[in-house]
Amino acid sequence: MDPLILSFAVVNGVLLGGIYGGVALGLSLIFGVLRVVNFAHGSFLMLSLYIAFWCWSLLGLDPYLSVIVTVPAMFALGYFVQSVIISPLIRRERALVVEPLSALLLTAGVFLVLDNLALMAFGPNVRAVQADYYLPSPMLGSIPLNPQRLIGALAAVLVALGLSWWLRRSHMGRAIRATAQNRDAAALSGINVPFVYAVTFGIGCAVLGLFGSLIAPFMPISPSIGVAFGIKSFIVVVLGGLGSIPGCIVGGMVIGVFEAVASQHITATSAAIGSLGLFILILLVRPQGIMGRA
Amino acid sequence: MNTRSITAPQRSVAGLPMGALAAGLGFGCVALIPLLMDDPFLIHSLIMVLFFAYMASAWNFLCGYVGQLSLGHAMFSGVGGYVSVLMFTQLGLSPWIGMLFGGLLAAALSVLIGYPTFRLKGPYFTLTTIAFAEIVRIWVENTNDFIGVPLKGAEGLVVPAAGDSLWAFQFSSKTPYFYIILVMLVLVMLATRLMERSKLGYCLKAVRGDRDAAEALGINPTPSTLTALAISAFMTALGGSFYAQFFRYINPERNMGLELSIDMAVMTIIGGQGTVAGPLLGALILTPISEMARGHLGGGLPGLHLVVYGLVLMACVLYFPKGAIAPLGRLVRRLTDRRGSRP
Repeated sequence: MDPLILSFAVVNGVLLGGIYGGVALGLSLIFGVLRVVNFAHGSFLMLSLYIAFWCWSLLGLDPYLSVIVTVPAMFALGYFVQSVIISPLIRRERALVVEPLSALLLTAGVFLVLDNLALMAFGPNVRAVQADYYLPSPMLGSIPLNPQRLIGALAAVLVALGLSWWLRRSHMGRAIRATAQNRDAAALSGINVPFVYAVTFGIGCAVLGLFGSLIAPFMPISPSIGVAFGIKSFIVVVLGGLGSIPGCIVGGMVIGVFEAVASQHITATSAAIGSLGLFILILLVRPQGIMGRA
Repeated sequence: MNTRSITAPQRSVAGLPMGALAAGLGFGCVALIPLLMDDPFLIHSLIMVLFFAYMASAWNFLCGYVGQLSLGHAMFSGVGGYVSVLMFTQLGLSPWIGMLFGGLLAAALSVLIGYPTFRLKGPYFTLTTIAFAEIVRIWVENTNDFIGVPLKGAEGLVVPAAGDSLWAFQFSSKTPYFYIILVMLVLVMLATRLMERSKLGYCLKAVRGDRDAAEALGINPTPSTLTALAISAFMTALGGSFYAQFFRYINPERNMGLELSIDMAVMTIIGGQGTVAGPLLGALILTPISEMARGHLGGGLPGLHLVVYGLVLMACVLYFPKGAIAPLGRLVRRLTDRRGSRP
């Protein structure tokens, strides 16, 4: 094993894994607060990729600048999905925590609708954003870093830090954490629980909007990309611990490095199979994940 | 439970429970359709309805009664299809025998997977089933040759034509396929009905209601869930073999992809989980939508039927959590009660 090739794979894996972690943040936040497994997570990412693409191709907006469109749009969509589609279910099962299976089925319905609407509207063709400028590749020792992936990974770390800080310090963050701990007690203390839920869902989707814009410059965009990223996000979140924000980034990087090294030294197929196998193993042996608390 | 009274033998005619009589009459009428109408598109659509009703019933046999959501059942369908086709092309074995081997292999595989995973609850179980099925699909899709067996990866397998032959499970007309899948559906529904009233059925329902309470009563959930899982996997694999013979072509995407698993689950949930007739009802509601989208719109709008599936699923989860069979059952009961109370 050539140490240079290995270190190249590891560095690449860390960068890509950071992006996986950033993409999975919303899934983890929503599960941590609402106990809803959002099956439509990948579909929301797919939508924000398309928004970034159409901003670039129709309005000539640089993908990085399309953040000003994707983030508010995805926040609004998330807020809408939670307050219109999921909240009747939560209201119906007020006494209990939402039965996770019916919430999963509901979001599976959202996934089917969004993915196939995109297929109908945009067709199965793969699209790509072509930037008309070159970003210089910074060097780490003798290893060149992909600038776009570097931006994505750094953004993931920053967003995770910012989100943790915001949840700990801000008024809304406290309300969210209180609701996550005990919905009824939070409601008794005067917290508007449906509003907190809708905002949390909106924030989870807004983070996806951000990463949609950040990965649009180097990601081939097609309606089926949602499923691929959705499954990867589940792996990352389970590995890091469902509901844990730092766990998400760590889990993402573990998966990223694992996949990069395995596809470099064995095959890309075994990397994909291996990460799914790792996912099953973690669920069976340590369901709370690396960073999660039981 | 509202759904109970639909299947319960409340009244009887000439010693036979009315439900069984109605079901026999219904299937008898369906069996006459190919004799009366000779429209290949209609027969094809009916075969697809019956096929999905069969697959959903096989899914329901386990998941509907034990209350766990598996989105990995397409894996068993794939095992069934691949084993029967490979045994036919490689060993010259009749698919009728090959499909039994496929079913047994799927059942063995399901027990191996089910033993560790049934401890997981709710969404964790669901995600694990997806992961297992995806592992198998990715592996087949990227394997051309496995210890001398030509799996042919993503390209898929073609069943070589062998003329009109019962032995080779190949017919030039669609009608024999229609009767085969009709019989398979009747058998799986009979099996479900028998299981519902057996010790196995009561154990499964106890586990669905409250696993901890069931264990406290001395029910060990493992043997009953694994038995039901093995039977469910066996039946799903037979369906996969039927699919392979009917289309004479299988590939990993269509025969073991996530979409097939979702179809099976969504049809059962929309029709009514944990009931004998629910999966059939779900297939009756949903399959015509997809056949129409394919046939009349000329495939111009790929994915249209899945948009409708998604909308119907969301409406069902929100407004009919017990499936479409619950309001239908209420309607039937109201009608029969009114007739019964008249002097």
